[in-house]
Amino acid sequence: MLTEIQEGKALNPVVRHITQEKINLYAEASGDFNPIHVDESFAANTPLGGTIAHGMLNLAYVSEMMTSAFGRSWLSGGKLRAKFKESARPGDTLTINGKIDCIEQKDDVPYANCSFECRNQRGEIIVTGEAIIKLSSDKR
Amino acid sequence: MPDKTITYEELAPGYKFPPAVYELSASFVSKYLKAVDSVSDGFVPPLAITACAIAAMTGSIPLPTGTIAIHASQELEFFKLVPIGDTIECHIGVAQKIARGKMSMLILEIEVFDKGKEKVQSGRATIALPT
Repeated sequence: MLTEIQEGKALNPVVRHITQEKINLYAEASGDFNPIHVDESFAANTPLGGTIAHGMLNLAYVSEMMTSAFGRSWLSGGKLRAKFKESARPGDTLTINGKIDCIEQKDDVPYANCSFECRNQRGEIIVTGEAIIKLSSDKR
Repeated sequence: MPDKTITYEELAPGYKFPPAVYELSASFVSKYLKAVDSVSDGFVPPLAITACAIAAMTGSIPLPTGTIAIHASQELEFFKLVPIGDTIECHIGVAQKIARGKMSMLILEIEVFDKGKEKVQSGRATIALPT
């Protein structure tokens, strides 16, 4: 977890390589077998031109970064808003970065407002969004 | 499985899909953690719970033939941790249905409850359906 929570602080990035095998594993775990993710011949004949990773797989990496930074404050008091801008595809390497934009007090409770983005190896934004974490008193 | 009681054309704001129940077993969590390259901290990762809800959601939508569903955006709020082995119930409802030219969008509300009927997480998903 972060030892110091302060405005402007960058969160430790998460880097993950996407493979069709991982997408298939995610489909099996989640039960989401939408053919756009797992059926390569079906996906090749769609406007997407091939299989894509589940948006929620990409978001799982964002959640891992947040968990690593904020621990249980994130797991049981986190809030996020994400936009899936582009698709992640097999062969992509995703890097998830985030930072604490500001710390706000609401009713004497501190909240960390963070922004995050996930980019592929070409620098294209795959996911972008914001997260809010209610901080417990021992976190500052 | 898609909700056979309604067609896509009949889906309207306010419609609630039948609730979906999942057991968050140790083998499910282990499979999920392997898929997302993560490790266990003794609880079910909140995004694993969301994954069940999203699967219930995408599996429930009675899509027109030949349509693909693309996840466009997601909002989530986590309220409490869920121990491995617990059962959850996912409630999905239609918040908005938008048609713009060759693109349809469904905005769906998600609520997940634990076995004690306490809210575990809630969210809102936007699903794009290009035709």
